[in-house]
Amino acid sequence: MEYKLRKAEPRDVPDILRLVKELAKYEEMEHQVTLTEKELLEDGFGDTPFYHCIITEIQGEKSSEDPKVVGFAMYYFTYDPWVGKQLYLEEFYVMDEYRGLGIGSGILRHLSNLAMKTRCTGMMFVVAENNEPSVQFYKRRGAEDLSQEEGWRLFRFDKDSLVKMAAPSEE
Amino acid sequence: MASFILRTAEPKDVSDILRLIKELAKFEEMEEKVVLTEKDLLEDGFGDHPFYHCLVAEVPNEKSSEGYTVVGFAMYYFTYDPWIGKLLYLEDFFIMQEFRGLGIGSKVLKVLSETAVKTRCSAMHFIVAENNTKSIEFYKRRGAADLSSEEGWRLFAIEKKNLLKMSAK
Repeated sequence: MEYKLRKAEPRDVPDILRLVKELAKYEEMEHQVTLTEKELLEDGFGDTPFYHCIITEIQGEKSSEDPKVVGFAMYYFTYDPWVGKQLYLEEFYVMDEYRGLGIGSGILRHLSNLAMKTRCTGMMFVVAENNEPSVQFYKRRGAEDLSQEEGWRLFRFDKDSLVKMAAPSEE
Repeated sequence: MASFILRTAEPKDVSDILRLIKELAKFEEMEEKVVLTEKDLLEDGFGDHPFYHCLVAEVPNEKSSEGYTVVGFAMYYFTYDPWIGKLLYLEDFFIMQEFRGLGIGSKVLKVLSETAVKTRCSAMHFIVAENNTKSIEFYKRRGAADLSSEEGWRLFAIEKKNLLKMSAK
């Protein structure tokens, strides 16, 4: 089965949203995806992209069929004040039926190349602690668990907290 | 008269930003790990495509410590959550010891929150070392949730030598 890895284009937005929802469903969080195709389009393909995507498509059995998008990775660039630019892997998903074909490895190889080309000193990402297959997939390739080794915990201020903090305080 | 001001960093602030990055690293006993230079900071923050943004806190000359008027900074950038969209990510946040307790930290968070709301971010994310109880309390008092605790997220990194290995295969 031939597969092709390429940069996402505006026309891929419906497939990106479909795969985002599939991954969320796998994590039992599908209803939490409130992002729309319109936002994905503006945020990824406007003047200032807030994210980048690469997708993997598989050619249909008949040459007249459209290729099918079966995997994607969403990433952006972050900044470490000690060493500079990093590539941050935000989302990474290959449809169940297309696993075990080397698509995931191909995506990681492409991203590693990109990180080197853009002079990033590392790639970072989060993994849910109970996601053993993913933890192993990454550890096999040399990933270190910084939460374990250095004790980092991820925190969030949600919108309500931000609005409260942004409000003028009573003098 | 205010005892400090907060403003967007300018190219001339790059040496102060690097000084404060090193002070924070020293506080974490990791000073030798800071390999970034002023030149990197300048290119990466003030070129065509900024990879980070900075706020700096300044005190008047008369109040300065050893001649430094820039006494604090916050470094942030925008990230993207595929479920809810744009986020503001707070990367580094440090106020020199002698200038704490003046409300500078609170003001920094307020300005960042305003920026987040104005740029239509759905949330602000950041990491904190689990043994840094003071900072954890500072954030929790303001409504921050520990996602590592609540949702089990762990931060992973693949460093350069392993990226090179993977890119070569």
